[in-house]
Amino acid sequence: MTKYTIKRLLQSLVTVLVVATIVFLLMRMLPTDYYFTEDQVMKLTEEQKNDQLLAAGLLDPIGQQLLRFYGQLLHFDFGVSRRIQTGAPVLKVIGTKFAISMRLGCTALVIALIIGVFLGVMQARHKDRIFDHIGTAYTIFVNAVPPLVSYSLVLAFGAHVLNLPTLYSTRNVGKSSILPIVCLALASIAHYALWTRRYMVDELNKDYIKLARIKGMAFKDIMVKHVLKNAFVPLVQYIPASFLMTISGSLLAERFFSVPGMGPLLTDAITRYDLNVVQTLVIIYAALGVLGVFLGDVLMMLLDPRIKLADKGGSR
Amino acid sequence: MANANMEKAPILSARDVEIQFSLRGKKLKAIRKCSLDLYQGETLAIVGESGSGKSVFTKSFLGMLDANGSIVGGSIQYDGKDLATYKTEKDWMTIRGKKISMVMQDPMTSLNPLKKIGRQIEESIELNQGIKGPEAKAKALDMLRKVGIPDAERRYNQYPHEFSGGMRQRVVIAIAVACHPEILICDEPTTALDVTIQAQILDLIRSLQKELNMTVVYITHDLGVVANVADRVAVMYAGQIVEYGMVEEIFYDAWHPYTWALLSALPQLGVKGEALPTIDGTPPNLFNEVKGDAFAPRNKRALAIDFVEEPPFFEVSPTHKAKTWYLDPRAPKIEQPDSIRRLREKMKLKERG
Repeated sequence: MTKYTIKRLLQSLVTVLVVATIVFLLMRMLPTDYYFTEDQVMKLTEEQKNDQLLAAGLLDPIGQQLLRFYGQLLHFDFGVSRRIQTGAPVLKVIGTKFAISMRLGCTALVIALIIGVFLGVMQARHKDRIFDHIGTAYTIFVNAVPPLVSYSLVLAFGAHVLNLPTLYSTRNVGKSSILPIVCLALASIAHYALWTRRYMVDELNKDYIKLARIKGMAFKDIMVKHVLKNAFVPLVQYIPASFLMTISGSLLAERFFSVPGMGPLLTDAITRYDLNVVQTLVIIYAALGVLGVFLGDVLMMLLDPRIKLADKGGSR
Repeated sequence: MANANMEKAPILSARDVEIQFSLRGKKLKAIRKCSLDLYQGETLAIVGESGSGKSVFTKSFLGMLDANGSIVGGSIQYDGKDLATYKTEKDWMTIRGKKISMVMQDPMTSLNPLKKIGRQIEESIELNQGIKGPEAKAKALDMLRKVGIPDAERRYNQYPHEFSGGMRQRVVIAIAVACHPEILICDEPTTALDVTIQAQILDLIRSLQKELNMTVVYITHDLGVVANVADRVAVMYAGQIVEYGMVEEIFYDAWHPYTWALLSALPQLGVKGEALPTIDGTPPNLFNEVKGDAFAPRNKRALAIDFVEEPPFFEVSPTHKAKTWYLDPRAPKIEQPDSIRRLREKMKLKERG
C-alpha cells in the first residue's frame, strides 16, 4: 500500500513538472516586447532594451532558461511580478489572494459535500417520489442554466430577501462571504446529489442487499451499514473533480462578487502580460488538480479493499 | 422417513396464493391460486421452466417480492400466523433469517464486496440472536468451520474477492443458516457454479439440513439435482403447481402432460440418432386471463375440456396428485408416453443391477 502511494505521488510530481515545463515554454514563445510597459517601449532605445533583456536572462538559449527555471522551482522561487505589483515576489502577490480563494472554495466544498450527499441519500430513499423529482429538477436546473443566471438569482434573493451584502468586503468578511460561497456550492451540491443518488440506487439493486434483507436486517441499517459506504467509494473519485470545479468556478464567482481572490488575479495577469504571475498561477491550479486526483486515489484505496491487490500483484 | 412426514401436520401451508405484479399499468398474474404444504425436515424440489413462478412463489414466503408485486389472494399459514397478511418490513423481520431463510443463485454478487466475510456472518448472528462482540465472533468462526471453510480465523478477516465462487456460496449458506432457520429456500444454488463444485455444495446443504433439522426447498431446472437430493417434487407451470408427489412417483409415474414433456426432454432418455424432444410453443401470457388447462395449447394430445375448464387435482396416490383431466374417470383412456415407460424400465434394470 505504501509502495502504491509513493508511486502515485511520484507520478503526480512528474505531471506537475510537465505542466510547469509546457507553461514555461509557451510563455517564452511570446515576443519579448511584452517585457516592457508601453512607456518603456516608446522611450528606450533598442540597445537599452537589449541590455535589460540580457540582464534578465531572457536572451539566453531556451534550454539554459529552462534549467534555471527548474532551479528556481526547487527553491520555490517564482520570480517577481512586473505589472500587478511591480517588483514584488510573485508568491507574495498571490499569497493573500490564494488564502481568500481557498477559504471560500474549501468552505463551499465542505458545505456542498454535506448537503449534496444528504440530498442524494434522501433522493435514493424516496426514489421516484416527489422529493426525488425536486432534487432531479434542481440538478438539471443548475447544470442547464448558465452560471451567471443562477448567480444573479442568488444575488437577487440574497440582497432583497435576506439583506446580505452583495460585494465582498474585507471589513465584513463573514457576512459578505455568504453569497459567494453559496454560488460556489450550487454546482457541487448538484453534482454530489446526482452521483450519490445514482450510486446508492445502483447498490440498492444489488444481490447482496437482498441477502442482507433475507438475514433480517432493517432497511435503515442496510442503508447506513451497506449502501452508503459502498456508494461512497465510487463517489470519492468525484471529490477532486469538484474540487477543481469549485476553483474554476471561482474565476467567475469571485469576479461577480468582487472577491479579491485568485480568480480575478489570473485574468488580470493575462490581460496585463504579467508572465511570472500567469505562469505561477497555472502551476498552482495544475498542482491543486493533480493533488485532488491523488487524494481521490488514496481515499479510494483506503475504502476499497479490492484496490490493495494492485500492490501484491493480485494474490488470491 | 419421507412417508412418515406425510402424517404430520405441515409446518408451512400455502393455500390458493395469488401474486400480482403491476407492470406499466398492466396487471400480471404471476401466481394463480397456488397451494403447497411443507413438512418438517423434508426436501422439496420445485421444478419448471423460466417464468413459471418458482422463485416468485417461494420468495413470497419471506416477503422478498419486488416492490411492484404483492400477494392479492390466498393464505400462507406458518407458525399460527398468516404470512400473506404481512405488509411491513418490520413484520417480515420476525420471519427472515430466524425462521425462513434463502440462498440465492449467484454467489459472486450475493456478498457485500467491501465488508469482511466474518463481519457479514456476524451481522446475521447479532441481528437474530442478540449476542455481540467476541461471543458473536466465536459463533461466526464456528459457522465458517461448519460450512467447510478451512483456516477460519484467517478467512474471517478476508473480503469476498479473496474467495472462489464455491467458497463464496459456502459463505452465503453460512449467512443464510447462521440463525438456524426452520425453512431454507435454495434458489438454484448451484447454477452459477462449476459442475465439480455443485455436488460439494449440495452435500453441504444436505449435511446442514440434517444437523439443524431444516426443511429445504430447492428451486431448480436441473432434474439431475432433483433426483439427487429431493424427497418430494412439485412441478410448476404458468404460475401453478400442476403435479406433486414423491420423487419416484414423479420420475416414474407422472401423469401431467407437462411433467411428461419435461421428463422426455431429459438428455439421458435420448435415443441415439433421434433428435431430443423439445416442448413446442411458449408459456401463456400471464397478462391475460388463462382459460382451462394452461398447458393445453402446447399439448398435442389435449382433450376438448382442457381448453374450456381448469382441471382440479386428481389423486394418483396419497402422496401424489396431478392437475389434469387425464385422470378423470370420464376421460378417454390415455397411456403414458413411451419415454416415461422407457424411463421406468431403465430404472428397474438399474435397480436389478
